[in-house]
Amino acid sequence: MLGLKKRLSGALQAEVVSTASPSMQPHDDVPDPQTELLQRWMSLADMQQRVIQALVGEISSTSGFVETEAEALSGRFQRLVLSADQQTARVESLTSLAIGIEVDGEMVPIDRIAGLLESTLSDVVEKILLLSKDSMSMVYALDELNANVGRVDKCMEQLGGINRTTNMLALNARIEAERAGGAGAAFRVVAQEVRELSKVTQDVAVSMQAELKTVTEGIANGHTTLQRVATIDMSDNMLAKDKLEVLLAALILRSESLTRIVADAVREAEIISADVGGMVTGIQFQDRTRQRLEHVVDTLEVIDQAIDELKQSSIAAVPELAAHMAPDLEWVKHLLERFTMSEMRSRFVAQLLEGKQTGELPDDKSETRGPSESGAVELF
Amino acid sequence: MQFQLDSNSSVVNMSGEFTFTDHAQFKSLVTRLFEANGTAVVIDLSKLEFIDSAGLGMLLLARDEAKKANRSLVLRGPSGQVKRMFGVTKFDALFDVQE
Repeated sequence: MLGLKKRLSGALQAEVVSTASPSMQPHDDVPDPQTELLQRWMSLADMQQRVIQALVGEISSTSGFVETEAEALSGRFQRLVLSADQQTARVESLTSLAIGIEVDGEMVPIDRIAGLLESTLSDVVEKILLLSKDSMSMVYALDELNANVGRVDKCMEQLGGINRTTNMLALNARIEAERAGGAGAAFRVVAQEVRELSKVTQDVAVSMQAELKTVTEGIANGHTTLQRVATIDMSDNMLAKDKLEVLLAALILRSESLTRIVADAVREAEIISADVGGMVTGIQFQDRTRQRLEHVVDTLEVIDQAIDELKQSSIAAVPELAAHMAPDLEWVKHLLERFTMSEMRSRFVAQLLEGKQTGELPDDKSETRGPSESGAVELF
Repeated sequence: MQFQLDSNSSVVNMSGEFTFTDHAQFKSLVTRLFEANGTAVVIDLSKLEFIDSAGLGMLLLARDEAKKANRSLVLRGPSGQVKRMFGVTKFDALFDVQE
């Protein structure tokens, strides 16, 4: 850069020396064509310096703006990564919920629960069936016992009849013994014994009748109780197993569907996490952008400095060049008309025409009005 | 419950509802069925509309009687609620159940 500057400076000085005399001498405040041409060069150089300074300002501001926005964006993406990771973890926890139920710290799969329930219900149904069979067997047995007791009761009635007959026989024998007088004494004793035997038999028969009555009542009560048990219809309870099996099959199907959906969701969540992570890495571009723009700014500043030095050297060699020359407003206007952002145009106007240093970029970054809408252009 | 026994006492057609109240009638029916000679006894259930747990218990007792008599017991044509009850209780594993 320094070599280029020296070459430019040397060439210009040589040109000035070779063309300055005599034409560089002023005639009545009217510069000669060569001096005027050089003055225009000086004016253009001056404007170029201002443009360079304005560009340096714009680039620096834009670089700062990009860096700030990129950092904010990076922060938001990092929060998004965190949320995506948490979301993935939540979805993964749903997987275990879909697979089964935690019991005493152990995860029991839905299909195992269904199997356990099915086995338990089958056992219950089997027991109901056994209970029904045994109940009916007891009902049959009690029916049989009841019939036996009825037959015993009939036997007791027959026994009572026999006893009554025996008693009548004993009474008749006693009457006949009395008629026989002394000859019937022994017969009288036998008749008395038979009568007492009949009385004892009658007492036993009455006692047995009472016992039999108690047994009959017991059988009747047992039959009633058993009937109550046996008539409890368990068919609905048995068929509940059928319904539960259908429900469990549906539950297993739903669990499988849920597991598939959750697995898909986990995959998607992981993809999102990976994408967002990649975006966080990608957003780090602002570092390299800033470095590149710093190089550009540095280069522009070196050029600005070289132009400045060349201007000073030219003025030292040709003092007439120091005379003020108005900027080429038409050229500046053409330049600024190319800008679509009015606020940028304003800053260039301030920098190029008024030599003011511009501040930071405004917040409204999206303003892109056409040249005709710009207040700055209206200044021309 | 109503039933009809064929002439050689090997096929009985049951209809209506088979519940506890039929136990005396069914017991005498079973006695008659297995008193006669033969190989298999068929109980046709195609007209039977309902059976309760007591009815199932009585069929199991009839099965025991068949075993004692060295005869087989076939349950034919269960439908509706009766078929569902047979399915739930896995009766096809205990009896020869024919559609």
